Amino acid sequence: MVFDPEIRRIEQEIVDFFAEKASEHTGRHPIVSMVMAYFYIRRSLTQRDLRSLTGFSAGAISKAVRQLVDINMITREMIPGTHTHRYKMEMLPFRSPSYFLQTEKTLEIAHKELVELKKSLDAYGDVMRDVEVYQKVYAVVAHLLEQISKVPLFMTLIEEELEKFVKTEKRKR
Amino acid sequence: MKHGKTAPSEERLRRVEHKLVEIIGNFGYLKGRSAKTSEVMAYIYIRQEVTQQLLRELTGFSLGTVSAALQDLEEIGFVSKHPIPNARGYFYRLAGSPSQVLSRSMLDFQGYLSEISGFLETVEAKLSKPSLSTKLGHSNLRSFLDEMNVLIPAYEHVLQKFQIIRLDSTRKQEGATSHQ
Repeated sequence: MVFDPEIRRIEQEIVDFFAEKASEHTGRHPIVSMVMAYFYIRRSLTQRDLRSLTGFSAGAISKAVRQLVDINMITREMIPGTHTHRYKMEMLPFRSPSYFLQTEKTLEIAHKELVELKKSLDAYGDVMRDVEVYQKVYAVVAHLLEQISKVPLFMTLIEEELEKFVKTEKRKR
Repeated sequence: MKHGKTAPSEERLRRVEHKLVEIIGNFGYLKGRSAKTSEVMAYIYIRQEVTQQLLRELTGFSLGTVSAALQDLEEIGFVSKHPIPNARGYFYRLAGSPSQVLSRSMLDFQGYLSEISGFLETVEAKLSKPSLSTKLGHSNLRSFLDEMNVLIPAYEHVLQKFQIIRLDSTRKQEGATSHQ
């Protein structure tokens, strides 16, 4: 869809803001941040749309949308009768962090892997305890295991609160 | 460049470390960071002090990739750059202890939210011009703003409710005194 020129300028400001700020605060790649911001507003786009909106190369766009699909931020479907994909953002990522971060699944895998690592570290302990890197690796593994065990409860609390707040606000309007 | 033989036990340790880097790096990728930046961050997170040379050995990335990543990480305040005493070149240090780095990302989030909300107010002002209300694309911007106007206070409410900020700053103070 072609936006009115004045609306388009406002959109551009929003997109530039998120491209800069999201990258600054999260370390996210600026191209990924910018593509994400276009989805906040347009919700449904093809790679061609994104190329003409951003001016980035086909390669850069395809890499960015692949990452966004990988991380559950957008979905991909084939436009019937064509070889073109359409990408959609069903809801803003701010709406449900655990959905977009896939926290449960990711943490479960990470936890399992970290437990394995700790086992190997304990097993090699006698030979390697004096190596400085051993101490550092061990400390990080232990710290992450401790943190990860706290996340699911915290996430649940956050999600419940968000949900409650959003419902009350919507009822007010 | 020195190529010392590594003992089998060190070799095994490298493999464990590499696996740990994969796990940490995966979180970075989920946040939308590039895979290479995530890997560099993970090594710094573990080693706490690194040189470009060491990062090249650990990751196998080119000098250009490593130095670009370090420059980005310096800009976002993840590392600080220091000259190596009595030698040429620099080393890079993780900004804070690993646990401070983790909790700082929470604190940053609060700052990020308030920046977003300040910025969206200026957008709101521009969009409220009556002549724009029938223009193509207006409804897209409108529904984005409407949704953000509910979500941002919701996050502020949640952050406050769980007192993330206060907990974090107490922990930081403790860290600061223990250094003295």
